[in-house]
Amino acid sequence: MPLVQVLADGLVVGAMIALGAVGLTLVYAILRFANFAHGELIAWGGYFALSLLTLATGWLGLEAGGIGGLSIGWALLAALAGAMVLTAALGIGLDALLFRSLRRRGGAITLIIASFGAALALRNLIAFLYGPTPTYYSRAIPMALPLLPEEVAAVTGQIRMTPDQLFILGLTAVLVVALHLFLSRSTLGRAMRATAENPDLARLFGIDTRVVIRWTWAIGGMLAAVAGVCFGLTAQVRPQMGFDLLLPLFAAAILGGIGSFHGAVAGGLILGVAESIGVHLIGAEYRQAVAFVVLIAVLIARPAGLFGERD
Amino acid sequence: MSALLDVAGLEAGYEPGLPIVRGASLTVGEREIVVLLGPNGAGKSTLIKAIAGLVPASGGSVRLDGRDITGVRADRLPGMGLAFVPQTENVFGTLTVRENLELAAAILPRSRRAEAVARALALFPDLAAQAGLRARRLSGGQRQMLATARGLIVAPRLILLDEPSAGLSPKLVDDVFRQLVRVRDSGVSILLVEQNVRAALAIADRGYVLVDGRERLSGRRDELEGNPAVGALFLGGVPAGEAA
Ligand SMILES: Nc1ncnc2c1ncn2[C@@H]1O[C@H](COP(=O)(O)OP(=O)(O)O)[C@@H](O)[C@H]1O
Ligand SMILES: [Mg+2]
Repeated sequence: MPLVQVLADGLVVGAMIALGAVGLTLVYAILRFANFAHGELIAWGGYFALSLLTLATGWLGLEAGGIGGLSIGWALLAALAGAMVLTAALGIGLDALLFRSLRRRGGAITLIIASFGAALALRNLIAFLYGPTPTYYSRAIPMALPLLPEEVAAVTGQIRMTPDQLFILGLTAVLVVALHLFLSRSTLGRAMRATAENPDLARLFGIDTRVVIRWTWAIGGMLAAVAGVCFGLTAQVRPQMGFDLLLPLFAAAILGGIGSFHGAVAGGLILGVAESIGVHLIGAEYRQAVAFVVLIAVLIARPAGLFGERD
Repeated sequence: MSALLDVAGLEAGYEPGLPIVRGASLTVGEREIVVLLGPNGAGKSTLIKAIAGLVPASGGSVRLDGRDITGVRADRLPGMGLAFVPQTENVFGTLTVRENLELAAAILPRSRRAEAVARALALFPDLAAQAGLRARRLSGGQRQMLATARGLIVAPRLILLDEPSAGLSPKLVDDVFRQLVRVRDSGVSILLVEQNVRAALAIADRGYVLVDGRERLSGRRDELEGNPAVGALFLGGVPAGEAA
């Protein structure tokens, strides 16, 4: 397989990891706790979309077939939008029912253990409701298209990607740019950055930090749903998918500098590419080991991560 | 006529059953600079944080313009005309000077925000030149000006300042304090916590000395300036005539 193909495949995986890692890192930045249930938001996003897809094709009669060469049709796009809303609500609900009261009374360890518990409950709930077997959104076998012109491909080797993979890259790019503009320009985005830096001072600026916290969960949940649906598109949805993604998510967030939005994006992409190269060179069984080698190497050079700031 | 700020028998602390502020009372009138003095650890910062809603009150009351604001959420107070500038970490270092001011102005109606930011920058010309700089790169004096400008941006009736002179050179202290007099003359009342007794009394209208979470002395500027008991309290002693 040509190197350019390995890189391209890595970017697609990296995009999905980045979407998850951004949510993880934002929650960490605002609430100062490592949420081990974030992977389950991704899984639930994937399964919400699965249920909504059934609804959309069955009840609303939306076309299940793809737009253009995509296996994604209007039905799946509608299901994705719905899953984003539902997963955002799941994140907000989880915080209101569990984490909020523990923040007041418990310490950091209590929160982490609670998030472990929440992850277990959420994962098993999926297996209970949907069954343990993996499921596809679509049975269609996507056609991979050559991307590079012949003259270029003759030198570098050809890159082939399915329309779905291109869709994932494009959607991730749009979301990352949108979130960047939101955080740097909008009042709410600036209020989020302010709350991340110093919640007490944010209150003195007149910012209702409870609203900021709700939006943090909402944004994390929406991005998690997109990641989950993308995962379902390139592979399948399965109950353990959130758990399997957890280590890459944390590795990406820490690699980029935990709490840093740009760091999580960069960390996700780097990790995806590194995994892809590792699988290509060494073999698929070492996929997660590669993630950790990269993580350790970066942390030795930059202990606070790529974009992290040391106090 | 009631005072603009009326603190009565306030008790507050960081842990239940361990009050740091123990029944403190003070008032701030309209267009007044009131200075809160006292030895290190007396509870001045805690008292001012309790007024601003950052530390929970376990007893007593805080009234702003006759309205009970005890226990009101800190983020609602700027909208009610009370601004608090803490001693340290009083600006967002990761935001630019302008972003700090715009964020503070966001509680104002949209139509008034730009003008409020422009007014704050006009008041502190040093800041205007640095508007695009991240606040963590400001010098100590500029940072203090930004913090004060931020407090003033919502056009408060009362601004609480915790040791605005801390860490500043004597010349900058003069600058900041001169600025405070101008602020007072523009119609804003000021409650000022200070270690710098001489400089603070020079601009104050009245003052209190807080010891062990309670005010032990109070009076007009001239009464405090000539009073040897003020100095004695700082050395941890009990002023003559007050010994139990
Ligand atoms: N965040 C805090 N948590 C617990 N105790 C505190 C905290 N801040 C201050 N204290 C304690 O409260 C007492 C009064 O402190 P403070 O109000 O800062 O005094 P001052 O400002 O007069 O120097 C001190 O004994 C200090 O140790
Ligand atoms: Mg203090």
